[in-house]
Amino acid sequence: MSSYISAENINLTFRPKNREAVTALSEFNIDIEQGQFVSIVGPSGCGKSTFLNVLLGLIPPNTGVMSVNGRTVTGPGTDRAMVFQEFGLLPWRTVAHNVELGLELQGVAKGPRRETCQGFIKMVGLTGFENHYPHELSGGMKQRVGLARALASDPDVLLMDEPFAALDAQTRDIMQAELLRIWHEAKKTVLFVTHQIEEAVYLSDHVIVMTKRPGRTKKLVPIDLPRPRDYEMRVSPRFNELKLEIWNELKDELSVGGDEDSGHA
Amino acid sequence: MNAWIYEKRRLLLGVAAVILFFLVWEVIFSGLVKLNPLFMSKPSLIWSGFMYDLKSGKVLFELMVSVRPFLFGFIAAVVVGIVVGTFMGWRQKVGYALDPLMTALYASPLVAVAPLVIIIFGVGVPGKTFLIFVLSVFPFIFNTYAGVKAVDQLLVNVVRSMGGNDKDIYFKVIVPSVLPYIIAGGRYAIGRALVGILVGEFYAASAGIGYMIAFYGDMYAIDRMFAYILIMMVIAVAFTEGIRWAERAAFPWRVGM
Repeated sequence: MSSYISAENINLTFRPKNREAVTALSEFNIDIEQGQFVSIVGPSGCGKSTFLNVLLGLIPPNTGVMSVNGRTVTGPGTDRAMVFQEFGLLPWRTVAHNVELGLELQGVAKGPRRETCQGFIKMVGLTGFENHYPHELSGGMKQRVGLARALASDPDVLLMDEPFAALDAQTRDIMQAELLRIWHEAKKTVLFVTHQIEEAVYLSDHVIVMTKRPGRTKKLVPIDLPRPRDYEMRVSPRFNELKLEIWNELKDELSVGGDEDSGHA
Repeated sequence: MNAWIYEKRRLLLGVAAVILFFLVWEVIFSGLVKLNPLFMSKPSLIWSGFMYDLKSGKVLFELMVSVRPFLFGFIAAVVVGIVVGTFMGWRQKVGYALDPLMTALYASPLVAVAPLVIIIFGVGVPGKTFLIFVLSVFPFIFNTYAGVKAVDQLLVNVVRSMGGNDKDIYFKVIVPSVLPYIIAGGRYAIGRALVGILVGEFYAASAGIGYMIAFYGDMYAIDRMFAYILIMMVIAVAFTEGIRWAERAAFPWRVGM
């Protein structure tokens, strides 16, 4: 197989002490080409976030092989970086120091580190806010920091776990457009987990629909909308056809499940 | 000028209230009520008593006597409190085991065992040190415990996902999240440590600020007694405000402290 990101028959069961075991992923398979923007949609608790954590190297699967660019994932690595739903910014660090975290952990010296990060702060439109603390920023700005931090260590794969879920609708629209611009600029393979079908269609080359827990890939929907995408595209007939197609796949999965989201590690 | 007053109104009102308090005190015993110097004093008399002992070097001497056990006891409380609190936070079983015991000790009037402490550890630095330690260790234990428990697991995952090892997690996440809790604990501990030194010197001592308060009280030298009480008060306020200021300077990310 020549796919860039590949998950082969991943099985993962959580066995918390004194509680019932939960199978999060069952025979999970995925194949993603380099440079693609792929979204994953699925019911709550279907294991979407768990899969991202497996790919990130934070949770080892029970069985199956997860690989990126031919290399098996055995732990965290600088070729992958995550943008977290709840931002995950260190509150005692300024914007600049938060963005520098990855390079700092890699042992990059202060000077080059600062210089590199300055570019990414500019890319996400936060020039002038370098010395602000996270609590001084709006939700949208915090996630811009999260994005810059992930990009700063120059990963090949960008993982995004419902990155805009905590933002209000308008900020969300702006951030989606910003993300597309940055994706064109930075040329990363993006894996984007979301609950919103519209968001998935608007951003992606492919949308993966997952079954309810234990999560498997149900359908891969190619998004044949032209790029660059603009806001008007969201009211085009084709856009709505794709939305409907994904909704039809998803709705059967929603009827039974719908329990709490236990997919987070 | 008006803008300046408005901006500083918190400080100004606070200081004004203190001045007013002493003013009213002075006025009441300067004609309204007849002052019996055996039972009461007034600010002007207290001030001259203070100046007398200050000039003779007595104030400084007594302060130095009290400072040593204070430092020993307080530093021991910081170290032991952080270690115990960290273990309680990290190891759930240790936390479960020690929480009720520590809570009971924290809430109990430990001052009452002061005579026992003096009998066991003797008069002087060891007894006072122990008393100060016992009184001020609990705020450090409980605040460290709370701080370690409150460490955000998401931030641990963030650092780990970027290739951070255990040392990185410790220094880049755990220490900075727990530190503000410890400093806040220090604010409570200071007050309790000062009570410790007073009580220790009340029961068995031949010098020190606490001893002088008891001594002048026994001598019916109420003006001097009040002078040493006020010294203690000023030290307490200075420490507490000093820590508050240091918190703001060192932890600018903490909102609304």
